[in-house]
Amino acid sequence: MSKTFFYLKLAVNNLKKNSKAYVPYIITCIGTIIMFYNMCFLASAKTLGLISDDGSLKMILTFGTVVIGIFSAIFLFYTNSFLVKKRKKEFGLFNILGMEKKHIAKIMFWETVLTGAISLSAGLAGGILLSKAMILLLFKIIAIRVTFGFEVPTLAVVITPVLFGAIFAINFIYNSLTVRLSKPVELLKGGNVGEKEPKTKLFQGIVGLLSLSAGYYIALFTESPLQALTLFFIAVILVMIGTYCLFTSGSIAVLKLLRKNKNYYYKPKNFISVSSMIYRMKRNAAGLANICILSTAVIVMLSSTVSLYIGVEDVLRTRYPRDITVGSSFISDENVEKMNKIIEDTTDSLGIERRNVLNYRYLTVVAFQEDSRFQLQGDSLRFKDSAALFFMDIDGYNKMYNANKTLEENEVLLYEYRGRLPGDSMTIEDLQLRIKERVPAFEGDGNTSAMMINSFYLVARKDDLQKIIRVSDPDNTKGKDLAYFYGFDVNADKQTQIQLATEIRKGLKELGISYYADGADLSRESFYTLYGGLFYLGIFLGLLFIMATDLINNYKQIAEGYDDKERYEIMQKVGMSREEVRKSINSQVIKVFFLPLLAAVIHIAFAFKVITKLLEIFNLTNVPLFALCTLSTILIFSVFYVAVYTLTAKTYYKIVKG
Amino acid sequence: MYLLEVKNLKKVYTTRFGGNAVKALNNVSFTVDEGEMIAIMGESGSGKTTLLNMIAALDKPTGGEVYLNGKNITVIGDKEISSFRRENLGFVFQDFNLLDTFSIQDNIFLPLVLAGTPYEEMNKRLTSVAKRLRITDLLSKYPYEVSGGEKQRTAVARALITHPKLILADEPTGSLDSRSSDELLKLFNEINNDGQTILMVTHSVKAASHAKKVLFIKDGEVFHRIYKGDCTNEEMYQKISDTLTLIATGGVRNE
Ligand SMILES: Nc1ncnc2c1ncn2[C@@H]1O[C@H](COP(=O)(O)OP(=O)(O)OP(=O)(O)O)[C@@H](O)[C@H]1O
Ligand SMILES: [Mg+2]
Repeated sequence: MSKTFFYLKLAVNNLKKNSKAYVPYIITCIGTIIMFYNMCFLASAKTLGLISDDGSLKMILTFGTVVIGIFSAIFLFYTNSFLVKKRKKEFGLFNILGMEKKHIAKIMFWETVLTGAISLSAGLAGGILLSKAMILLLFKIIAIRVTFGFEVPTLAVVITPVLFGAIFAINFIYNSLTVRLSKPVELLKGGNVGEKEPKTKLFQGIVGLLSLSAGYYIALFTESPLQALTLFFIAVILVMIGTYCLFTSGSIAVLKLLRKNKNYYYKPKNFISVSSMIYRMKRNAAGLANICILSTAVIVMLSSTVSLYIGVEDVLRTRYPRDITVGSSFISDENVEKMNKIIEDTTDSLGIERRNVLNYRYLTVVAFQEDSRFQLQGDSLRFKDSAALFFMDIDGYNKMYNANKTLEENEVLLYEYRGRLPGDSMTIEDLQLRIKERVPAFEGDGNTSAMMINSFYLVARKDDLQKIIRVSDPDNTKGKDLAYFYGFDVNADKQTQIQLATEIRKGLKELGISYYADGADLSRESFYTLYGGLFYLGIFLGLLFIMATDLINNYKQIAEGYDDKERYEIMQKVGMSREEVRKSINSQVIKVFFLPLLAAVIHIAFAFKVITKLLEIFNLTNVPLFALCTLSTILIFSVFYVAVYTLTAKTYYKIVKG
Repeated sequence: MYLLEVKNLKKVYTTRFGGNAVKALNNVSFTVDEGEMIAIMGESGSGKTTLLNMIAALDKPTGGEVYLNGKNITVIGDKEISSFRRENLGFVFQDFNLLDTFSIQDNIFLPLVLAGTPYEEMNKRLTSVAKRLRITDLLSKYPYEVSGGEKQRTAVARALITHPKLILADEPTGSLDSRSSDELLKLFNEINNDGQTILMVTHSVKAASHAKKVLFIKDGEVFHRIYKGDCTNEEMYQKISDTLTLIATGGVRNE
């Protein structure tokens, strides 16, 4: 009992003595725990279901939680190993002055328990507080109709201590093994051995290069949005691995190459910076890789959720081309006339004016695509190969666009809404169609756009449409009829619109056919709920990650400051002026600081295309809008980044100057 | 004109929290002619390192002046001083001051690189210096991989390689065994015969006996001076030992 107390007291003393190193370490732990808890909170909060009832959001968040978990483990392990290296000398002295390694391990155990307990309790409390504060704050900033409740999910409260307990345990095992496995002499020299020239890890570099290229390849060459959804996660993991490997080994390999070039290396400016950078990279690579990944995540999340939110009207327009949309998926010519009459009579009787009327006959065929061949039954039943063909009759098209295009038999006009259709002809089963012209975008019905598969809009003659019905519907389930769309805008409040849609529905019911009648305003609300929620989530995570970046940077600068102090004193003694020293520090600090941001921007550039594909799933096809959002997010983030830099650089210089 | 002239040099260290001020140097004056080898002796804590730091302008004196080549270096600005130091002074530090991030070779190169010397020239100088100091085999190692004596020889090489006007050496034989320190002293004698001026702090009577002039410092003041004149090394050795005994027994001051 008293023995335990003895070691506990020693441990407390050690922590106090090493507070310069331990305070930043504990703060880092707390920050990481806060971040993980918040991620966990989002993934397991019940109220999140209100945003979207499908599982994809939850899947993304769970994925995010796993990523943050892995990230936390790596980062804390790395920070800890750095710390224990610094303390090797102290442990060596204990050992030489008569303390058994077993006892040192006991002290270390209590140290770990103490730091762990402090970090976990503060981290959990901070996490719960932060999750609430953020929600309150965000609710003030963007008045979104949905809000997450003030809940404290049990799952998050359980998982967080379990994960971090495990991380602390692993760190303890690592620390006590380091002490156990080294001779006292090695321990005494420990601090210096930390400065040992890093080895070039060729294998790691190659792995990094390969996985980064693979990740980039996926990002660049994924065409279909659905594929993008699954492959995106793989690409993210690959790029993460690549970033870690390249930051840790690639950077050092490059610097060593520079050092080999005598004429470059032995220039006053390069001499100091290259050799110092080798050590800086060794110490910081993992931290820098983390910053890079977090920065990338922040930018991607903010830019995509913001552009979704801004683009919601766009999306609504694609999904619901007109305020009121009425239609039927197969309807006879005779019933079309009746439908028109019901719609027109109802609007007139309510005294509403129809504007931007859009009506046409059409046909949608879903088939398996192989280049320009479409087949009803595919060899493989893979969803990603399917495509939607949306045919509109030429009369409707001409009327809509005030055009007077003519088509011969078996000729079509084509617009590639999503996906590629190469060549100048296409076949559906055994029906061959010639693509007469590729036309600019035209409005199709919103249902097609809601599907994530390849979609092509085509224009054909009415008699050809009948042929297409025959080949595409051999069982004649649709009574050989085309579909019909009737849409128009109205100048009326929401209440009236809802009334109108309801009245039209009532009238159509009597026709005894399949039909739909929607008001865009009805859907607007649910759209805003979904996209607003995502926006909210994006900002939440963005702020969280920015804080994490900040924390890592700060820790790094402080740890580094103490290390560099001595070195720069020596350099001044052998003939560098204070000004030269300052310049040299400046250029190195800037390089180390901005490397992650630069890499993040490169990641974003490669990811841009695949993200636009992902946004298509959410119906956002406005690429310029997304580009603009991405650029401004990068800009705003950089401003943040520079601000953090200025602050931490100040701390750093203060330390170095002593 | 003297190569080095130290006039009434004073240094008071004030501790941060208003503790006792330490008078490390008090009215030290002496001169060094070009080509001279001078030894400074004194008890630990008597102010020797402080004196060298003032001469190398690594620290500002509280009072007095230091002239190197007729130039008052206590008033040179920070910008000029580092290039001045680089071009005129070679310093062998008591605690070596080697950088762990550089190999032995690069540590020696450091002042030359800072002066913008081309690589071929540096390499040529390194080869001869390294051979003289027997560190050729160590060049690619790092400071934490070599012994204390080897570090000291590296520090000497770094001071010699710039061909400075004045070499300031703070106990350059402190970590060396007798064979290595004999060799180093021989080397110092050789370069001194070639005209190199050397100012050396030492506790070793033997090392001091090679010098043409020996200054004894006690409590921050020049307590005594001995000139070699026409004495042999052995006679000089005897003179120095006698003086040291005198100081230790608190003998009369003899200036
Ligand atoms: N930076 C400093 N601040 C305060 N006092 C100092 C400082 N540097 C040296 N001193 C004090 O000044 C006195 C002279 O120190 P100095 O280093 O010059 O001694 P030294 O003669 O080189 O001794 P040694 O032979 O042990 O190297 C000592 O009393 C020392 O404690
Ligand atoms: Mg000294």
